[in-house]
Amino acid sequence: MVTEHAALPFPSHVPAVELDGVSRRFGATLALDECSLSIGRGETIALLGPNGAGKSTAIGLMLGILEPTAGAVRTLGHGARTAVLSGRVGAMLQGGGLPIGARVGELVDLARALSPSPTPRDLVLERSGLTSLAGRRADTLSGGETQRVRFAMAIAGDPDLLFLDEPTVAMDVESRRAFWDDIRRSAAEGRTVLFATHYLDEADQVADRIIVLAHGRVVADGSPAALRASVAERSVRFTLAATDEPEAGIGALPGVVGVTRHGDDITLVTRDADATVRALVASGARFRNLEVAAADLDTAFLALTSDRPTATAA
Amino acid sequence: MLASRLAAPAAAGSFRPLLAYLRLEVRRALRNRRYLVMTVVFPLVIYVLYTAVLPADGGDGTTIDGLTWPVGFLISMAAYGAIGAAMSQAVPVAMERRTGWTRQLRVTPLPGWAYVTAKAITAILLTVPSVALVVTVGSLINHLGIGVGDALSIVVALALGAAPFAAIGLLIGYLLDAESAQGGMVLTLFTMAILGGLFVPLEAAPPVMATIGSMLPSSHLANLGRAAAAGTAPAALDVAVLVAWTVAAGALATWAYRRDERAGG
Repeated sequence: MVTEHAALPFPSHVPAVELDGVSRRFGATLALDECSLSIGRGETIALLGPNGAGKSTAIGLMLGILEPTAGAVRTLGHGARTAVLSGRVGAMLQGGGLPIGARVGELVDLARALSPSPTPRDLVLERSGLTSLAGRRADTLSGGETQRVRFAMAIAGDPDLLFLDEPTVAMDVESRRAFWDDIRRSAAEGRTVLFATHYLDEADQVADRIIVLAHGRVVADGSPAALRASVAERSVRFTLAATDEPEAGIGALPGVVGVTRHGDDITLVTRDADATVRALVASGARFRNLEVAAADLDTAFLALTSDRPTATAA
Repeated sequence: MLASRLAAPAAAGSFRPLLAYLRLEVRRALRNRRYLVMTVVFPLVIYVLYTAVLPADGGDGTTIDGLTWPVGFLISMAAYGAIGAAMSQAVPVAMERRTGWTRQLRVTPLPGWAYVTAKAITAILLTVPSVALVVTVGSLINHLGIGVGDALSIVVALALGAAPFAAIGLLIGYLLDAESAQGGMVLTLFTMAILGGLFVPLEAAPPVMATIGSMLPSSHLANLGRAAAAGTAPAALDVAVLVAWTVAAGALATWAYRRDERAGG
C-alpha cells in the first residue's frame, strides 16, 4: 500500500484525532478500555492522569506505534501510521535516548530532511534553546537538554499536529516556562497540540480542554473551568482531638470517596458533605477545626482518578 | 524482500528519507573508534604476526588458490575485517531498540524499510575502509606489490560479498538485547572466521571441519577476494552460496524486525 503522501487530502474539517471504542491490551493488562474521543483542529488538549492511566498508550495508538486491540483510530482523517509518514505530525515521546555518535545539529538536520515542509534550521534551534549546543554530541547531553533535542525533532517538520508525552519531566523551572510559552505560540498559530502530563498546573494553564484518563478510561473531558465546576465533591477537613482516636470507619462515612491523613489532620473528599458531617458527628468521634470547602482542581483530579467509581464530568 | 508492511518506495523522491538517514548513520559509524580497532588493527596484527614467523615466500612454496601464501592470507584477514565491519550494526541496533531511538524514528516520516536499509548499506560501506586499509598496509609491510587496480577489485568483491554478514548483524541486533548483542556478534565473527578457514586454511583442517567450513559464507567470501586478487572471474559456487546466505539471513532479519515493530519497539 504505497501512497504519495504529499498528494493525500487533509481536509481541515476532519478532526485531528478520533478514537472510536479503542481498547489496547498488553498481556493481561487492559491499558486502554473502550476509549472514544474526538479532538478538533487547533485545540490544545491536556491528557491528564496518574501513572498507568493509559496516557502513553493512547498517544502510541494515535501515532501508529501501537495497534489497537479493538476499535478504530484516525489521525488527521487517515490511519495513524499514514498520517505520521505524511510529515504533518510531530511527536515527542517519553524518555528515549539519542543515538551515540550523532551531533545535535545533525539530528535537527535529519528531522528537517525527513519533512516535506521543514522549519528553518536556525528557528528550530532557537525555539528549542539549542543554538549553542548544535555542535555537541547528543550522547553527552543532560536529561533536560536531551528533552529539548526531542522537542526540536518534533517541531522541525512544522507539523499541523503536535504530540508531547510528559514533555517537561526533566526540565528545570526556567526551561519549563520557556517551553510552555513556545507551545502557546504554536497553538496560537493554529496547530493542534496534545500533551500528556500529570502536572495539574500545566494542564490548567496551557490547555483549553482537559481529558482525564484513569484506568484506561476517559473519566472527564472539558475545559479546566468546567471540570472544576462539574465535580460535585467537597472536602471536609478536621483535626482529630487525640492521636489515639480510632481512624477506622472514617472512610466508610456516607458520601466519602477519598481520605488523606497528615498526622491528626484528616481530609475527606465527599460527594455529600451534609451527610458526611452528620454521620461524623453521630459517630461520636472527637474532632475540632471542622471545615467544609469546594473542591479545587487537585481534589477534583483525585476524585476523578481514585479507585472508586465516580460520576463522569460533563 | 522487505515487502508489504515495510512498504516499498513509490517514486524516486521516496528515497530522500533513506538518503537523509544514511548520511547520519555513516557519520556516526565513522566516529566509532572501536570499529577501527576491530576491523583494521586486529586483522593487521594477526597478519603481521603470522607472516613474521613464516618466510615471506611461504617457505615450501605453499600457495592459497594460486596466490603466494602472504597474499592469500592477507585476503583472509581482509575478509575477516569485512565480516566484522558488515556485522558492526548489531550492537547499535540492539542499543537503539533499548534506548527508544527506533521508537522515536517511528514517529518521524522515516519509513521502517528505510531505517533497515540504511543500516544494511552502512554496514556494507564500512567494509570499504576496513578492506582498503588492511590490503594496503599489509601489502606495504610485506612488499607484496598489490596494484591499485587489484586492490580496488578486492575491495569491491569483499564489500559486496559481505552482504550476508550485514543481514546477520541486523538479525543479531533485533534478536538479542543490548547486553548480549556484542557477545553474539563476536561469537559469530570468530565462528565464521575459524570454521570458514580464515585463520587456518580449510585444506589443512580435518575433513569434517572442511565440510562445515565449505558451507559457511566466510570461506566463500575469502574465495571471492582471492579470485579478485588473482584477476580471475568469481566462481559461480561462491556467488551462489553468498546469495543464498544473504536471502536466508535477510528473510530472518526482516521477520525479527517486524516482530520488534509489532511489540511497539
